Amino acid sequence: MRSRVTILFGLAIFALGAPLRAQTDEEVEAHKLVLDLTGAFSNEGFKLRDGHWTGMIKPQERALIAVNLFAGNQYWFSAAANTKAKKISVEVYDESGKPVMTETYNSGDKASAGFSPTSSGQYFVSIGLLEGEPTTFCLVYSYK
Amino acid sequence: MIFRVRFAAIILLLGTTAVFAAEPTPLPSSRPLSSEQLAKAIKIDSLTIPTPGELFAAFEKPGKPDWAGQYRTPIPMTYRNRGKIALNLGGLIADGFIAVQAQDSQQVKNIGTDIIKLAKALGVSENVLSRGNSISEFAENSEWDALQEELEATQNEVKASMQSHSDQDLVILVSLGGWIRGTQVVSASIVKNYEEQSAKVLRQPAVVNFIHAKMNEIGPDLRKDPLVKAVSDQLAAIEKLVTFPPGKSPTLEEVRKLNQAVTKLMDEIQNKTEAK
Repeated sequence: MRSRVTILFGLAIFALGAPLRAQTDEEVEAHKLVLDLTGAFSNEGFKLRDGHWTGMIKPQERALIAVNLFAGNQYWFSAAANTKAKKISVEVYDESGKPVMTETYNSGDKASAGFSPTSSGQYFVSIGLLEGEPTTFCLVYSYK
Repeated sequence: MIFRVRFAAIILLLGTTAVFAAEPTPLPSSRPLSSEQLAKAIKIDSLTIPTPGELFAAFEKPGKPDWAGQYRTPIPMTYRNRGKIALNLGGLIADGFIAVQAQDSQQVKNIGTDIIKLAKALGVSENVLSRGNSISEFAENSEWDALQEELEATQNEVKASMQSHSDQDLVILVSLGGWIRGTQVVSASIVKNYEEQSAKVLRQPAVVNFIHAKMNEIGPDLRKDPLVKAVSDQLAAIEKLVTFPPGKSPTLEEVRKLNQAVTKLMDEIQNKTEAK
């Protein structure tokens, strides 16, 4: 319960190190949607990172974020977009840009990709809008 | 008047979040990404830098190390230099994660108290201070998963408070302090009981590279600070020490060198001579 309060409070704090501006309703909605999705992973013992990343994406485009992962851990990257999105995707690439095989979950405006890296280091997570109008997305990740 | 300005800042803080302009690149997927695409990837403190808890979770997979053996004696709470306080705050948060891995309630409570003391010295918001109670409560009830999340939330709240007080340059120092302390603990454990599989977690060149780049962006006054300068100057060498080919583990000797380098840095960071 307290964890959920912590997570919700995270809506009001920043992903740090960048310019700040007021959070739009669409961003709040996308964050809420993605937190709903990650509840299932929490039940499986995954810990949710407190940070999140929101942005805008257009059809047939992708947005990329760099993350640093450890061999031995399992990770799930989850994204949600608001209702303008009909289908989004989450994909993972290694440090050289090669696609990584992941387990996937896709439910239209929500998607997750999970894998266990065998090498520690930098990876790239891509959020793509496959169908729908330009939309706001939010990405979070969980690990165990 | 000051109260009104502060109140307005708090309202702004609560109603905002960082939003980063995504640099979209065309689909289709499943093709390798080009180096130009990779170079445009967003990097943010709160997701690109892993928490010490994430490092420790991976490190203990092959077998639980002696976490309690990695405790250090309490550090001074009387530093005056804000850069030094920020670096030590990051280190203390990493100590909190160590105590959580050790499932040591009393140690978590002690460290939680110290985190709040140091945070107070930086003039952070009341929200951060209330985290101390939550940490104690979770420790009392042995809620270890919740404590992991609470420690990271506390760290993020400290950083948010720093930003709202125009102390954004200190934010990366908190992350750096946590990274150094986490790496010190893990490398020390590996030196004691070397296993190739465990040593794989030390491969983190991009983390150090990102932190180093952020350090180069901090304001000239703080960059001139002797401790900040010393730490920044040593990061290039440390980046080399955490760079290995993908999938390869560092040798025992390589781990030992890394441990010596981060221990030297940690000693400089917690050095009492600059304490009041």
